[in-house]
Amino acid sequence: MKIKSILIANRGEITMRIIRTARKMNIQSYVIKTVKEPNAWYLEEADHIIDFTECFSDIAEFLDIERIIYAAKENKIDSIHPGYGFLAENPHFAQRCKEEGIIFIGPSSEVIYQMGNKTVAKEYARKNNVPLLEGSKGNLKDAKEAIVMANKIGYPVILKAASGGGGRGMRVAEKESEVERMYNIASNEAAKAFNDPNMFIEKYVQEPRHVEFQILGDQHGNVVHLGERDCSIQRKHQKLLEESPSPALDPELRERMGKAAVNIAKGVGYYSAGTVEFLLDAKKEFYFMEMNTRIQVEHPVTEMVTGIDLIEQMILIAQGEKLAFKQKDIKLKGWAIEFRINAEDVQSGFSPSLGTIEKITWPEGDNIRVDTGVRDGSVITPYYDSMIAKLIIYGDTREKALQLSSQAIKKFWIKGTKTTLSFCRAVLQNKNFRKGKFNTSFLTNELKIHYHNAPDEEMLAAFFAVYDYVREVGDAEGKTLNVEKSKNITPWLLNKRLR
Amino acid sequence: MAESKSNGSKVTKHKLIALSSSKKQFEFSNPQEKIIKYKGEKVKVRLSEDPNGFSYIVWKNRKYMLDIIEKNQNRYTVMVNGVWHTFTIESPFSLKRKKLLEKQAGVSTSESIVSPMPGKIIDVFVEEGAEINTGEPLLILEAMKMQNEIISPIDGIIRKISIRKNDSVMKDDLLIEIDRR
Amino acid sequence: MDVKGKNFKKFLDRQQVFESQYDAKSMQKQHAKGKLTARERIDILFDEGTFEEIDAFVTPTKSDGGFGKIQQSYGDGVIIGHGQIMGRLAFSYAQDFNVMGGSLGSIHAAKISKIQDMALKMGAPIIGLIDSGGARIQEGVASLAGYAAIFYRNVQASGVIPQISVILGPAAGGAVYSPSITDFIFMANKTSYMFVTGPNVVKEVLNEDVTFDDLGGAEVHAKKSGVAQMVYEDEENTLMGVRKLISYLPANNLENPPEVDIDKKETKDIEEKLRDIAPDDPNKPYDVKDVIKLLVDKRSFYEIGELYAQNIVVGFGRIDGKVIGIIANQPKVLAGTLDINSSNKAARFIRFCDSFNIPLLTLEDVPGFLPGVDQEHDGIIRHGAKLLYAYADATVPKITVILRKSYGGAYCVMNSKNLGGDFNFAWPTAEIAVMGPEGAVAILYRKELAASKDPAGLKKELAAKYREEIANPYVADEKGFIDEVIDPATTRKKLKSAFLALENKYITNPTRKHGNIPL
Repeated sequence: MKIKSILIANRGEITMRIIRTARKMNIQSYVIKTVKEPNAWYLEEADHIIDFTECFSDIAEFLDIERIIYAAKENKIDSIHPGYGFLAENPHFAQRCKEEGIIFIGPSSEVIYQMGNKTVAKEYARKNNVPLLEGSKGNLKDAKEAIVMANKIGYPVILKAASGGGGRGMRVAEKESEVERMYNIASNEAAKAFNDPNMFIEKYVQEPRHVEFQILGDQHGNVVHLGERDCSIQRKHQKLLEESPSPALDPELRERMGKAAVNIAKGVGYYSAGTVEFLLDAKKEFYFMEMNTRIQVEHPVTEMVTGIDLIEQMILIAQGEKLAFKQKDIKLKGWAIEFRINAEDVQSGFSPSLGTIEKITWPEGDNIRVDTGVRDGSVITPYYDSMIAKLIIYGDTREKALQLSSQAIKKFWIKGTKTTLSFCRAVLQNKNFRKGKFNTSFLTNELKIHYHNAPDEEMLAAFFAVYDYVREVGDAEGKTLNVEKSKNITPWLLNKRLR
Repeated sequence: MAESKSNGSKVTKHKLIALSSSKKQFEFSNPQEKIIKYKGEKVKVRLSEDPNGFSYIVWKNRKYMLDIIEKNQNRYTVMVNGVWHTFTIESPFSLKRKKLLEKQAGVSTSESIVSPMPGKIIDVFVEEGAEINTGEPLLILEAMKMQNEIISPIDGIIRKISIRKNDSVMKDDLLIEIDRR
Repeated sequence: MDVKGKNFKKFLDRQQVFESQYDAKSMQKQHAKGKLTARERIDILFDEGTFEEIDAFVTPTKSDGGFGKIQQSYGDGVIIGHGQIMGRLAFSYAQDFNVMGGSLGSIHAAKISKIQDMALKMGAPIIGLIDSGGARIQEGVASLAGYAAIFYRNVQASGVIPQISVILGPAAGGAVYSPSITDFIFMANKTSYMFVTGPNVVKEVLNEDVTFDDLGGAEVHAKKSGVAQMVYEDEENTLMGVRKLISYLPANNLENPPEVDIDKKETKDIEEKLRDIAPDDPNKPYDVKDVIKLLVDKRSFYEIGELYAQNIVVGFGRIDGKVIGIIANQPKVLAGTLDINSSNKAARFIRFCDSFNIPLLTLEDVPGFLPGVDQEHDGIIRHGAKLLYAYADATVPKITVILRKSYGGAYCVMNSKNLGGDFNFAWPTAEIAVMGPEGAVAILYRKELAASKDPAGLKKELAAKYREEIANPYVADEKGFIDEVIDPATTRKKLKSAFLALENKYITNPTRKHGNIPL
């Protein structure tokens, strides 16, 4: 069945991104207006708006399954795209869509459940001979069991939420005394974020690279991979910069890892776009970590090097179409890097920087792509993540992509909030990053100062402060006080001024 | 006389110093002019606003984007190319006074932990009177859907806890005071 | 005149002795404490080269009882004179701590009284720079009499000329009362103190240890007691702050405040950002200062008492170069409720503005008075009444804009129409009613809620209905209690024409000696 309309159950840049492809495919887009962002940009770009602002529900708008389903039914919408986050990996949501005859643009509910539960996912990996890290077989009962397991595996260990993702519900324990506390923090976070406090434990690989493979599968059993993304530049498991291909892979390793990724996907009968994440250690051994059953934030880098529109593919697959290409047709060409520009204060530990984007301008040109959902006047609220924009740069080679990146970042100006742009500049200045030598410990080991600091800049800041100060304290001096005017009082008033 | 002309106060006519948070000093001898004399160089700077409303400064033929993100009296936070710097603007005497008063006060004996961002207190690990070491967690603050551990910056004893579990806090709200040990 | 003759020599000799009182050594003594000398302070406060000193050569009285010695020096430890601040006449006295600790002897006091008299005669502001150990013990009751004379003049001048006190050192005992009568108190942080009884007395009487700073430092008075309105980190900024404040004030109660010719491009009359500041969600806090800064001319907002009772914001600003006084509830702090401290702070500010012909703008977002046993027992009724009295008594132009909440008694108090508001505007986000929706439905539908299976759900539903039907600006608009519901973006434009229309406002209060404000 051909999809004629999509309800995008999401917000921000990914909603803008999906609208773009929908428009290209002549599909009507529907979006949800919330009380938290009543002036968001995506509302203007979409064909139709569904108003959720009169809200009596305690469930957050984008998590309210029944309300979203009802809205889709009421407006006779064919399909729902969940984007990432929110309900993207909620099997119950996919199931409800199916029950109501709405196409869920994503994998089947069963697969979401299986892959969403990391302990089940690992079973599939084991069955398909994909290497795994030592760890608990299933969910942990409690913190006590975590301690027992951790002592068995050896430190450091990582505690992960069974339903986790995006760096939430994940903590590393370096020694026994930390396990219980970390377990509780991660479990609490997971209970809040994913409604599932269950945890498992794994050996923690020291300083690995994070390499993930993009998968596409159709409903007819065909699965291909679209190469890898290197997401090793992270802070506390939050990705900050991604690139494709990975500087660490050679064609042989890429083929082996790609095959492993495809095998897992085939093993569970996966369709739609998905991502298989691996850890790659210093000896180039790789271990299956998890599979994400959704479109990823960092999908644009894959699109840049493969020339394939992943959102379009997800829609085509959801319509039941066969993949139009085979593995051998897929060629990785050139190099793409994505910088996540978040409203975060890099100079005080990446803490969120709320506020209004007073002004924003970004670079434009060949090989530069900016995915964003904000514009002048947009508000960064505490309700959602802090991402402002993604800057994606393409080059024939990594060298060229890096060069263009430096130029592009200089032209990316944001006023009103603190951003990670200065972090991006610092990364680009780093020699080892430029050589492609980095891993997930890059921020702690290599990039001690997380922002770029030029001495001239500090002096200019000082100058500007002094300059403004002089005008501020001497404000009325610069202007002239017009005393005469103030003495110009009409007799009407002057006679009566005193009681 | 229709308007009253003024000579202005002497403070802004003479040398002013921007003192950075890391105690670096930047001296400007003619603060009312748009000329920077710096390390023997004397350069005329151009302050402008581009059509998009960004202020920038041209210095040695390069453009730097500038923004004052916070100011209060003589305390300034200025953002240059996405990096912020904090200064206090001092006259030669106020700088002397500052150093003098700092010397008199000595090292502060207690540390106040304030909330780095608006959020909600999820858990408090310590009690008043408890001993704490540098790096040990004090509490968990949830903001932007992340749970952030707030850790102790010093070795000390908890003097006062100003918040409770499930409290909502604003940025810069006082959370915990610790006496240095 | 023969400049080499005897007459001129005597003149020069005197001059030399006088200058030697201000040598490097005495300067060093002050600087070592982190303080400027009286003369340096004067130099910063006034436009360069405009200060003229008078009575520089008076000499102190001789000690009468032989109890302690009185240092014989020209001027007796205080500099008095006049000069210009931003081209406008102002009078000032500056106590010199180097002469007997700035202590107040009878001649010292007489000098201050003299300059007070002059300022009042000439109708120009007076600024006291205070750095004094207090009454001069050696002079006994004569010194106390001197204080009383100063206080008397302070009171006489109150509401006639602006009086500003700048505390730049100690001010102890009786010395604190002159500043407290004046309109504004400035303090320099860490080097100035004010208290009635010092730490030593506290220790003796109560056996409590307290430092100078904790007892009466600048921060204590700015945050806790509300005695000081303005605190700065150093003396230069303190004095620059005084200059700035003066630029908003008329010289006396017959003049209008000075106007500034403004660059019309700098502030937009239609400002769309205003639409986004007050959130639709009635319980979400926002910073009312963001609203103020968009309404007044760029850089023109000057806040008074920033650190005290932060649930209300008061200060001066200009609209098209004309000075107004602003009173705004601050939803960011205590949800903007009115309590004892905020009522006092706002009431005093309104009284000042009314005395000096400064029109008032009230920005209202107030859920009500702060509930609580403490508040009731400490007399919120009495203190809240001051604010009400001040508003009703003020004859200057009074405009209110209701930004969001306006409930119950607080609605009445905050310059409502029937309290004498000249123009009362409301934003579409306004909620005007006797009480908030949740509270109202709990009373009106008590039985229904008790009987309901889902009381929370029903309450929410009823509250929404209440908000829709009652707690909005349109009911008040239709009854004429609001003159106009306005688009937030046009607020500045509306205010401009409203203040213009009110420029020649004149009303008669009944003839009386003075009213009886509930002090």
